[in-house]
Amino acid sequence: MPFLIEYVTEVVLVLFVLALLGNLFLIGIVFLRRQQRDRFFQRIDALRIQYGPVIAGVLSGQLAYPKGLQELREISGADRLFMLERLCLENKPAPAAEPALRRLCEDLGLVKIWQQRLMGQIDQASLRESLVHPHGWVGRVKCLQFLIRSKSAENLGLIRHEPSWPLLVKALEDPNPDLQVVAVRSLAAIRHPGSFPALVDRLQKVVLDPAPVLSVRTLKSGLVSFPLQNVHELLASLRHTNPRVRFLATDIIREMVEREAAGHPDFCLDQKKMKGDLAEVFLTELPFDANPDVRARVGPVIAYLADSRSASALLALLGDAAWFVRLHAVRSLAKPKFLSHAGRIASALTDTNWRVREAAVRTLRGFGSAGLDLLTAHFLVTQDRYSREQVADELQRAGLIPELLARCAETGNGRETAVLSHLAEMGKTSYMISVLESGKGNGHLRKKFLQEFGQYPDPQIHRWVEQEAVLESDIDVRALAQATLAAGHPGGER
Amino acid sequence: MELWRQIFIHGMNMFNLLIVSYFFIGNGVYTLLMVLSLATVWLYNRRLAYQDMDEIRESPVTPPVTIVIPAWNEEQIILETTDSILQTDYPELEVVVVDDGSTDLTLRRLIEHFHLVKMDLIYRPHIPTQAVRGFYMNPDLPKLLVVSKENGGKPDALNVGLNVCRTPYFCTLDSDSILERDALLRLMRPVIHSSLNTVASGGIVRVMNGCRVRGGRITEVALPKSRLEKFQVVEYLRSFLFGRTGWDLMGGTLIVSGAFAVFHRETVMDVGGFAHDTVTEDMDLIVQMHHWSVKNKRRIRMSFTTDPVCWTECPATLKMLGRQRRRWQLGLCQTLWKHSEMLFNQKYGLVGNFSFPFHLYVEALGAVVEFLGYFMVPLAIIFGMVPAMLYLLFVLLSLAYGGLLSIGAVLLEELTYRRYPGYRDLAVLLWFAFIENLGYRQLVLYYRFEGVVRFLMGSRHWEKVTHVGVAH
Repeated sequence: MPFLIEYVTEVVLVLFVLALLGNLFLIGIVFLRRQQRDRFFQRIDALRIQYGPVIAGVLSGQLAYPKGLQELREISGADRLFMLERLCLENKPAPAAEPALRRLCEDLGLVKIWQQRLMGQIDQASLRESLVHPHGWVGRVKCLQFLIRSKSAENLGLIRHEPSWPLLVKALEDPNPDLQVVAVRSLAAIRHPGSFPALVDRLQKVVLDPAPVLSVRTLKSGLVSFPLQNVHELLASLRHTNPRVRFLATDIIREMVEREAAGHPDFCLDQKKMKGDLAEVFLTELPFDANPDVRARVGPVIAYLADSRSASALLALLGDAAWFVRLHAVRSLAKPKFLSHAGRIASALTDTNWRVREAAVRTLRGFGSAGLDLLTAHFLVTQDRYSREQVADELQRAGLIPELLARCAETGNGRETAVLSHLAEMGKTSYMISVLESGKGNGHLRKKFLQEFGQYPDPQIHRWVEQEAVLESDIDVRALAQATLAAGHPGGER
Repeated sequence: MELWRQIFIHGMNMFNLLIVSYFFIGNGVYTLLMVLSLATVWLYNRRLAYQDMDEIRESPVTPPVTIVIPAWNEEQIILETTDSILQTDYPELEVVVVDDGSTDLTLRRLIEHFHLVKMDLIYRPHIPTQAVRGFYMNPDLPKLLVVSKENGGKPDALNVGLNVCRTPYFCTLDSDSILERDALLRLMRPVIHSSLNTVASGGIVRVMNGCRVRGGRITEVALPKSRLEKFQVVEYLRSFLFGRTGWDLMGGTLIVSGAFAVFHRETVMDVGGFAHDTVTEDMDLIVQMHHWSVKNKRRIRMSFTTDPVCWTECPATLKMLGRQRRRWQLGLCQTLWKHSEMLFNQKYGLVGNFSFPFHLYVEALGAVVEFLGYFMVPLAIIFGMVPAMLYLLFVLLSLAYGGLLSIGAVLLEELTYRRYPGYRDLAVLLWFAFIENLGYRQLVLYYRFEGVVRFLMGSRHWEKVTHVGVAH
């Protein structure tokens, strides 16, 4: 106790004074920082006002290039390069403006500096300059230099500076993970064919490394940005002994194909886009790969192949033991050219896995009215409860109920009526009632619905009939509702 | 009599020692966290200079995400929240709002605003939940699904969301929150670039009170008017900017705020979803995932980043603040008790040896020690066992050090995000950081103490914080 009182008092007093000084110190830093940032933004705003139009003019071609370059060279100060970099790159350039921007960055000396920095040659600012230069003291601390190097790699990618790709490939081997990630991204932006094999090689190393620095997703994202012409470089990976390498190579090709096909309904993989030997691998080797992930990812590529064997290869995958292989196969068949195989696809409606059933429903629906006919025919005859549930789910999600109701009112006892009847039997009446209550359904429709379904033993229908019997403005419909109720509604008795 | 006197003195001395130990250990760890966070957040902010959002937005390998919003009686704010979520900048996004049996107009407002129709869709309860009443969708707005269910509490609503979720990752979001447009992209960045399975990724939650909101977006950031809310602004900054950042850096994350976090769906399914036996299901889930990782010998990663921002409404009244803090403390105690085998368990590494004990002894039991200290130490002075001067100095030290930590959080904010633009705002923040320990800290401590008492009494009551829409 004496220890606590006599000695601790002094210690606590010292600590208190220190804490108080710490408070003041931090408050001072907060305000200093705020002032420093304000000055920085004032400077960059002033430069933006002065030189923003110059850069815009050069990039759009409205200002003579030499004149614009001369004006930009007039920027001075310790932070000149930083400001130039900021001004040139703060807005993502339109593709048409990229060549001008590249030239501008080269002529201003920025590209050379970025390349040097990427290689680790970072200019050391003087101690005085370090205080005012935004990169100043970061450049002086070796373990933080990766920040400057990564930014330089990013800049080279932003302007798609092709000659820099070998430097970026070299950066893939750098121990710093940030630099590796940025290098992958910049290489993906530049898309030089020479860098593709290096990225593939890096992918293999990452997969085989038990504790990789770089994520597979990062590399995959980079690789799929390349055009399809490079795809042949992945052939060796498709035959790699490691199943994960094979899977990733297949998946990357799948992404590349789907990316290229997006927005082109008639896209197909002919000899020009995919060489024969690679197409053969997809048709004859990969669908039988021991790794089910490979078999799953192969489907979408096969679907685009301009080869008469593609349909049979996909249909064979429909019988695969792994559910996700069947899932991808069904999804891959969702193309108009496979409409003739809709009957075979319909067999997947009774698959043991619900995701496959769902995919089959969506694939058939994607075939338009022909697919929908097939779907509804299946819905009406199938005894498979799960399959029926799945179709009912899709009919609702796709918003087809109003259309079915309208057609039912028009045609009478057609297939639509039978489908609605099935839905009512399954208790899937919420959507129908919503349509009838929302005012979308006219008097004729409500009358028809009462005639066809008024007696169904469904509580929701019963409630609606009760409402109609009281609130309906159409006298005929109201009378019909009252008559239905008087006849005794089974739903009400339950 | 002398014996009793000796026992009393000895007891008081022990308690005084305990208080002093708590002070130094607690503040020591907080200081460590602050220093680590200052370095990390500064570095992270520098790294943002070369981290392009377009890459994640445009990449085909960016995984789809479902945002799950559990809502119970949130008619005041649910439309703002849902609107804000639907505007979120993310390539493949689905939104599931789970109405947990609201008794107000929450569901009705959603139906009317988004023109939803009731559908009888398939519900696969992989995780058992209360009964689902219905699904509401607009076929023209397929990315929004509203599920109405019997009331079962927030974890139950989250589990329903999890059951209907189809994407590999899902994001939980409180129904009183507004996301910044690119917040989800930023939150997913560590998931995408990680070479390990990132099972949880948390972002920063900031106080929305006082801000201007238009069309589900924060259009002007400002400090709230009331002192109570201003204190909470500082508190949130401290908690998120240096508390969680520091733990994340050390790999000792035990709390990821479920108000805004992304989780790996399969892992959450494997651990059985959100548990009902605590009132802080988010913390419980994180601890469960640590268990899962050890049990299955799977390397996982949890990440916390400070640039994905979610704005939330903090309690504007003492009554609501009390409810919120009691619940947090109760949940903390429940979770720590439930997983007590992790305490100093070598298998859990830093989490078991450092993070868990810290949360138990400093965050949970510390509330009791500190609360009792306010009564016991004066008692010791009255009985002449501690000099008044020492007590006074100790109180001053405690206040000054608390202020230092809070001002450190404001400094972090200033070094990085500077969301409060004016000098006046900055001065106000610093002032409230400095005076936070004069009254507000004691008030919160009282609520925390109540939370511990409720835990000891076996309470499992979820105290609802009602939101009134305090943003302009």
